[in-house]
Amino acid sequence: MVLKVFFPQCCNRADSGLLVGRWLPGRDTAVVLAVIHYPFIPSTVKQYLQQIQGQSQVPVEVLGSWSMPSEKQEGLDSFLRDLSTIFPQTRWLQVSREMGQTGFSCQLLQLPPEKEEEEEDRVIFVHYDQRKVMLSQLHPLESPALPGCEEPSELRQMFWTVAHSEPLFLKDKYDEGPLKLSHWQSEGREASILVELMKLASTPLCLLLAWLLAAWSWVTSTRLLNLSPLRFLSSKLSSCVQLSYRTAHMKTVTSPHTATSHTHFMRKANVLVSLLLDVSLGLLFISWLYREERLARLASALLPAADRVSRELEDLLQWLMGAPAGLKMNRALDQVLGRFFLYHIHLWISYLRLLAPFLEVILWYGGLSAALGLTFALSLLSDMLALLTFHIYCFYVYGARLYCMKLYGLCSLWRLFRGRKWNVLRQRVDSCCYDLDQLFIGTLLFTILLFLLPTTALYYLVFTMLRLMVVALQGVLHLSVDLINSFPLFALSLRVFTPYRLAEGVKFRVLSDEPGTALHLLMEMNALGLGEVVQTYRTPTYSCYPPDSWGALLRKLFVGELVYPWKHKTTKTD
Amino acid sequence: MGPDIAPGPAVPWRKVLWERQPFPDNYVDERFLEELRRNEGIRQYRYWAVVKEAVLVGQQLSCVAIFITLWLYMEQGLLSPEALLWTSLIVGLLGYGLHNALRPQLGSDRKPRTHLADLQSAAIFLSFTFGFSPVLKTLTESVSTDTVYAMSALMLLAHLVSFPYAHPSPTGSLSLNAALFASVCLASRLPGALHTFAMLSCALLMFALWPCLLQSIRDHAPGPSAWLCVGVCLGGVGGLGSRWPGGAVLLALALVSVILLCPLLLVKLQRHKDNIQGPWDEAEIHEDLCKVPY
Amino acid sequence: MDNEKYTDINGKAIALNYQRHSSFCTEFTVSSPKVSIGKVMVATCFVWIFAYAVFFFTDNTAVLSSAIIITLIGMMLYIHFVKIDHESLLVIGSLGIQLSSSYASGREHTSFIEMSKIKDIVINEAIYMHQIIYYLCILLRDPADTSAVSSVVPLFQSSKPRLNCLVKVYKSCQEIISKC
Repeated sequence: MVLKVFFPQCCNRADSGLLVGRWLPGRDTAVVLAVIHYPFIPSTVKQYLQQIQGQSQVPVEVLGSWSMPSEKQEGLDSFLRDLSTIFPQTRWLQVSREMGQTGFSCQLLQLPPEKEEEEEDRVIFVHYDQRKVMLSQLHPLESPALPGCEEPSELRQMFWTVAHSEPLFLKDKYDEGPLKLSHWQSEGREASILVELMKLASTPLCLLLAWLLAAWSWVTSTRLLNLSPLRFLSSKLSSCVQLSYRTAHMKTVTSPHTATSHTHFMRKANVLVSLLLDVSLGLLFISWLYREERLARLASALLPAADRVSRELEDLLQWLMGAPAGLKMNRALDQVLGRFFLYHIHLWISYLRLLAPFLEVILWYGGLSAALGLTFALSLLSDMLALLTFHIYCFYVYGARLYCMKLYGLCSLWRLFRGRKWNVLRQRVDSCCYDLDQLFIGTLLFTILLFLLPTTALYYLVFTMLRLMVVALQGVLHLSVDLINSFPLFALSLRVFTPYRLAEGVKFRVLSDEPGTALHLLMEMNALGLGEVVQTYRTPTYSCYPPDSWGALLRKLFVGELVYPWKHKTTKTD
Repeated sequence: MGPDIAPGPAVPWRKVLWERQPFPDNYVDERFLEELRRNEGIRQYRYWAVVKEAVLVGQQLSCVAIFITLWLYMEQGLLSPEALLWTSLIVGLLGYGLHNALRPQLGSDRKPRTHLADLQSAAIFLSFTFGFSPVLKTLTESVSTDTVYAMSALMLLAHLVSFPYAHPSPTGSLSLNAALFASVCLASRLPGALHTFAMLSCALLMFALWPCLLQSIRDHAPGPSAWLCVGVCLGGVGGLGSRWPGGAVLLALALVSVILLCPLLLVKLQRHKDNIQGPWDEAEIHEDLCKVPY
Repeated sequence: MDNEKYTDINGKAIALNYQRHSSFCTEFTVSSPKVSIGKVMVATCFVWIFAYAVFFFTDNTAVLSSAIIITLIGMMLYIHFVKIDHESLLVIGSLGIQLSSSYASGREHTSFIEMSKIKDIVINEAIYMHQIIYYLCILLRDPADTSAVSSVVPLFQSSKPRLNCLVKVYKSCQEIISKC
């Protein structure tokens, strides 16, 4: 049997007295929380401990005695032994320091078999920093849903004990009272008045905001706004999506209930900090944008740029309608497709001409949205990009649909060509006896599709490239919005400035290895890695779902399925 | 390295491995191979019977040759598409009449096709071919001629390889499809849309309907059908000879080797057949049918 | 403590150092050889000669300065993230096992595994490139099923000592674990 005693560093030089703490259930482990100094009245001590126990839910008890050599009391040993009869415990620790020695010596009295066991070598003293242990949160976070399923480990129990006996540490060292305690003391409370004031002020503010949010969500949930075209449109516009995310975040922050669990608290703090960061970045952006006629210049530059893109596209189509890169394509189909797309570009240019006078006004009002946060401005930019490149999207969809249909038809006709067919019931390819006319028409169509495939594939390839460029741009915008939305800035700064608050575990250092004395270890916090912090505390958004792998993307492109820069809600749930 | 001679114990030797016996491991006695059987269920072929079957292969080869001949005539403008169409129509009607005349004698286990269904199929063939022939005409114009020839040759070869010679009546779908693909490729090289249409209907007649007719003739009268096949072979050689003598010589050589030489070789080599069977289990590879790649 | 020579799997000399703090607390430290000056010189010379060759053809001094920066940053990254100076294993009976590895720059990475999570310590075999090596590893207990092993934590991953060294560490560890 090895006895483990967790001993607070602040009590190293405390005067002699009683050790107060807790035996961890089912283990030979004692957690010392404080030292009660002489002189005391045993009944007062018992009363006090009961009071603490009621406040903190920690079964605090008297563990044993502590003696410091500086006092010249000779009969101390017997006195200490007598104390154990006053506080009836099954095990009684007797820890003492001696002059000239750094280590402690320890004796354990087992009371029921009135036999004294002296095991000098089999005691481990683990010194810990009470403040750090109290404030730190051990990772990985345990799920609160199943507390009784598995017994928490020794360290977790010890951390829990120290963190929950905060009422014990509230007693100040200068307080007048019947008891004198030695434990960790907070260094001062000057700033706490400000904190209290802010806490007081935050409650009505939160209530007001919550009421406003409730009104807003009532407006959005009215039937008029939930008609199917509007609903569809808002699910595709990234600014609307961002608005709904922001509403959810604000609801989290302004909920009037105080955060109970650590995760909940961190979530709230992270959301609040990222909100503040977002708004301040947005204000900076506004102050940059509305100065020196930047907006007007932007608006006047936008239209020629769109025009230029259209002209380039026209050139591209003309090139494709010839013999692009020496490829020999089916001339008739080539001409048909090329004219179709040219007509589309023509439509697009007239639309832009119609839009031109209003562009600056739209930009002016759009820029104001940055006051709600930079993310809004970025989402709006992404939406505008999507609207301005709508023709490219159209081309892409036509090309992809045509290509997809062709590929699908070729696949099934190739099966017919070999005299097979797809069996839907068994999910496999079976052989099949076709009629003569089926075979004839199938082969005819197969030949036609096969010879027309290169033309369609080339159009599809070119427009997919264009689409991918737009998607990449939009993807960058989405990523940056998502980064601001979900980045756990609060947790990260907590980790950087007070590394012990988020602990991955502990590490031990051997303090003394004098033979004959007990082993002394120093327990320190092992800070959580930065990557882990980000992973644990990031606010869940849509990008937290595993994205498509590159292989899946390539497969989709090859088959001709449509690709989007964001994930659909429907695919997300799968 | 003969077996070690054991000092003949009283226990008889048994051909088992799971029992310890007082013999050396490599000992066998004279009963060891008595259950061995050779060439079980062998059929002794007679030369002329084999030749009669081999004529079928030869006639399919000549069919392809006749088709190529017709295409050559069309491409060089020596045969007008109208003439080909009329000829095909007449030959098709004659064949259909013959087929109908032969059909009642066949066993009536299968429900016979009605004339209406035949008419419907013919209408579908003709309308689709006629509708698609302008498209087919432009289909391969940007593809180089060599590629088209190579593709057609490959497909005709695939047709010959996968043709079900034993039972040509329900034509194997791969062989028919390959032949049709080749004929579409070749037809798209012809000068006009009507040419394409004529060529495709001719291909339909030759690759889809002719095997059915031949099958029913064979079932009804095996003797004359062999002579019919010989006639087709001669027609193929003669036809090809009129446009391309070198090709005709090659075709004749191929036909002689397929019809006469290969059966001779088969009959001669049959003496050397040595197929052993015994009471042992042969390893058989069962392919899992669910995992057939498609 | 003892003068037995230990080598790693590549035949380089390593040092095994163990300190008995108490009868149930022992610390093993395996130190690999220091970064050899020769290798650093060779790498540096190689980069610089290459940079000088490029400079010779392009007449661009940015190449030389970037070569210097690349060399410095590369060396810093190497000693901070790659080169592990020594790895130590602190076995404390009834409390747990602590693994720490300190990099050449002084950075230290420590992790502590509680005794209640540890099922056993074993020497295992593994196929590594083209050879079979032994390594020491901690078997972690599966919390759902106490007889099952949930995962394996390999020890001395960077120094990879040979079997004779591992056996020594293994015996002391088993002694401590069985006692508590």
